[in-house]
Amino acid sequence: MMYDMNRRDFLKKSGAGLAAGIASSLWFDLLAHGKIPSLSSGLFEERFGVSPEDMRKILEIALSKGGEFSELFFEYRILNSVRMEEDIIKDSSENVSLGVGIRVLKGLQTGYGYTDDLSFEKMKQTALTAAAIAAGMSGVSVAKLQENKLKTQTYDMMSPFADVNLASKVELVKEAYNAAKSYDGRITKVQASLVDEIQYVTIANSEGLLISDVRPQVRLVATATAQDKGIRNTGNGNAGGRVGLGFYKNTLTPTQIGKRAGEEAITLLSAVDPPAGEQPVVLGSFQSGVMVHEAVGHPFEADGNRKKTSIFWDKMGTQVANPTVTIYDDPTIPNLRGSLNIDDEGTIPKKTMLIEKGKLVGYLQDRLSAKLMGMEMNGHGRRQSYQNNPIPRMANTVLAPGDATPEDVIKSVKKGFFAETYQGGEVNDSGKFTFSVNKGYLIEDGKLTKPVKNATLIGTNVQILNEVEMIANDTQFFLGTCGKDGQSAPVTAGTPTLKLRQMTVGGRK
Amino acid sequence: MKNDNLIKAAENLVAFGRKKGADQIEVSIGEGNEFSLDVRQGEVERLVEAGSKGLSLRLFVAGKMARASSSDLSKETLEKLVENAIERAKLSSADPFAGLPEKEAITADTDKLKMWDPAILEMSPEMKIAAAKKTEKICLSEPRVKKCFGASYGTYTGETFLVSSNGFTGSYKRTACSSGVYLQAGEEPNLFDEGWGDSSRILANLESPEEIAAKAIHRVTRLIGAKKVETQNVPVVVESPMTAGLLSFLFNCINGTSIYLKQSFLEGKIGEIIGSDLVTVTDDGLIPGAAGTKPFDGEGVPTRKTVVIENGILKSYLMDTYSAKKLGMKSTGNSSGPNNFYLAAGTSKPEDIIKSVDKGLFLTGTIGFGMVPTTGDISRGAFGLWIEKGELAYPVAEITISGNLGQLLKGIEMVGDDVKFKDSITGPTIKVAEMTIGGK
Repeated sequence: MMYDMNRRDFLKKSGAGLAAGIASSLWFDLLAHGKIPSLSSGLFEERFGVSPEDMRKILEIALSKGGEFSELFFEYRILNSVRMEEDIIKDSSENVSLGVGIRVLKGLQTGYGYTDDLSFEKMKQTALTAAAIAAGMSGVSVAKLQENKLKTQTYDMMSPFADVNLASKVELVKEAYNAAKSYDGRITKVQASLVDEIQYVTIANSEGLLISDVRPQVRLVATATAQDKGIRNTGNGNAGGRVGLGFYKNTLTPTQIGKRAGEEAITLLSAVDPPAGEQPVVLGSFQSGVMVHEAVGHPFEADGNRKKTSIFWDKMGTQVANPTVTIYDDPTIPNLRGSLNIDDEGTIPKKTMLIEKGKLVGYLQDRLSAKLMGMEMNGHGRRQSYQNNPIPRMANTVLAPGDATPEDVIKSVKKGFFAETYQGGEVNDSGKFTFSVNKGYLIEDGKLTKPVKNATLIGTNVQILNEVEMIANDTQFFLGTCGKDGQSAPVTAGTPTLKLRQMTVGGRK
Repeated sequence: MKNDNLIKAAENLVAFGRKKGADQIEVSIGEGNEFSLDVRQGEVERLVEAGSKGLSLRLFVAGKMARASSSDLSKETLEKLVENAIERAKLSSADPFAGLPEKEAITADTDKLKMWDPAILEMSPEMKIAAAKKTEKICLSEPRVKKCFGASYGTYTGETFLVSSNGFTGSYKRTACSSGVYLQAGEEPNLFDEGWGDSSRILANLESPEEIAAKAIHRVTRLIGAKKVETQNVPVVVESPMTAGLLSFLFNCINGTSIYLKQSFLEGKIGEIIGSDLVTVTDDGLIPGAAGTKPFDGEGVPTRKTVVIENGILKSYLMDTYSAKKLGMKSTGNSSGPNNFYLAAGTSKPEDIIKSVDKGLFLTGTIGFGMVPTTGDISRGAFGLWIEKGELAYPVAEITISGNLGQLLKGIEMVGDDVKFKDSITGPTIKVAEMTIGGK
């Protein structure tokens, strides 16, 4: 009888029978009836035969050469995508990623190994590889693993995408596509795609931690190209987060996302080149979170401060920004793209203040930096996958709102530049940054006038922190994928509309 | 699973897919071993060693495509993925251009392509650690270097297998080694980050710790004291690594997908003059020992030499099977992207190019995004050295450069003789007639 089989056998035998239901997700059975399995280490035991006792043994082997701390990061991730282009559904894919990363710490040193084979022998071999970073006798023993069950849920698990059939996903993509295409006769090309994933993680470490998380993530993107009189421009719309199907019914519909792409592409057809040079700049709330993330988030990650490569490493407790500026990172805000029940080291995250009224009060910590700096962990140790060691990362970074209205902020500028949407940005360790603005506006006599394309904003994080003059009350979140040390991580950053006294705008005039 | 079994696993999965209803199916498996380490302040800070495998597949049912991939290579998972993909394909739309390429024989002699160097496999971890430590030590002995972000060393060995229902079966092995260091110089608040790294398929061709350290030190210390300049239009000398950045943007503008989607300003320009007569750009997957060399692309199409721009005239796009069919052309063996995509060397010495400029920018680095294929517009943060009367006068930073790739290609006035095939996209130092510098 099916009910008596253990899950592993059940899956082996399910084969063709279950697939007939067009399970859009490979392991549809895990999510049957819309119920995400309880947050326990059971998944890796039931599915792949890795028991907590095996985990403890591997942790011990990892410490056998003198390591001080060992950790296992099990990951099982299923990512699905659907893409529409040239009026047809061109492509769909299903991608499975399974493996374990084994980390050994000794002082400042990290040994890391990973494998996609969860057999005990292979894990043992990987643990020995990671263990080799340390040399000497083992002085540390592994504590008894105590399963820590999560009490709070930071994700919207009401209608998870892993449970949504492909036909419904195709409908969402078509709706966004058609909304962009029909926005204006000058829209010549549209692409729309939906990418959803579910990530199961179980983390065990030599201090006895055993904790698991199931993380949904989805994003619907539309890109529109408009063409008129030899001029071509593209616009984008996208929305998602750790949400389910309900998000696209109740919060932001595919039609709205598609229209946004169409509208941006059409507006840019009449855009002018930016006025180059230093000038007052207003950052709109729609996507300027990217500036907060890049310019004033990265320098507060603990690793750069521990290694004294961030310019803020010796500034704790001092005034580093204009007193109007308060910045924090909060992975516990529900349902956002960067939200987390636990970080990738198993730490339960906290809202972490970075700058309070201009004063530097905290760094984003992972385990290694927190220990070496003698500070508390705050749940910001993240990794791209089991193939990467965790590093301090942002999750949902927020510049706190002020009292002004966005209109007041714009009204206060006689001549300047308004940045609305971005193509991307980059900051180096010295704090120099560059952002490419996809769509901006000229500000003339306190009003937004002509749309602007091809602008670049350039400056330093110190400058941005000190030149904030006015902050509005209209916070919006930007969806991003952050790259650091070759690892990408889903994040958001939120900001209200704000004014910078002076910033360099690059352009072609 | 042993490597000789991987090809068998791919063949079995192709047969399974055909049996289950796929008209065409293609399975590729990659198997690799990674070793990488970072040294900081004389100690190994991080050491990673791992082996991994991954499978990806594409299949077609009545002209409808679906794809899948997995790092879990268990038979039950893979067969389930094929079954799911067949069901998904049925919900997709029929596309008359979709399908696998016709089988073509591989004529290249894999041994002569020099993709594999046993010396890389024989290198001990201690040798790699010693190389990184030496690189860092040399850098830290330079008083003008404030900080070292760490020196790294890495090696990679891997094998790629491809089996297709059109009858193609192929595989090749590759090695790679790399080393680099990243530094900070200057005084607060005017700090500068720069570094240098090198990579190679052949160990003997990798730059020594001394060479890498010397280049990194030179690159960061030449920025000390950088200032902004006034906003102006001037000639720009683009240092070789930055030329590669421009070429990578050019690749986005001439690849078949951008063309059939009409997302490139170069769409419909075959046969037209799009650059100065000094501009010859080629993709060649068969250069022995070069970074992007491989006998066949991701669809089993043999790689080849394709002239993209010849003396300024656009000759060909770079295409995979699908985009080629859409454009009524033939695949150029570029389904995996650029092979070795390069701007051919000219005759000028880089120092003579700088000498030819009365006032302008020697561009050595950019940050940020800002290249739009639909228009060719470029707008990025930049730094480098200011040229006055043919001499490098002082460093500049916190400026932007902007221009348009179309105008820039036409404005190439000099091409250097310094092309190296260390990256799959590469080019020499060039001089561009004019770009806009955004500064004060």
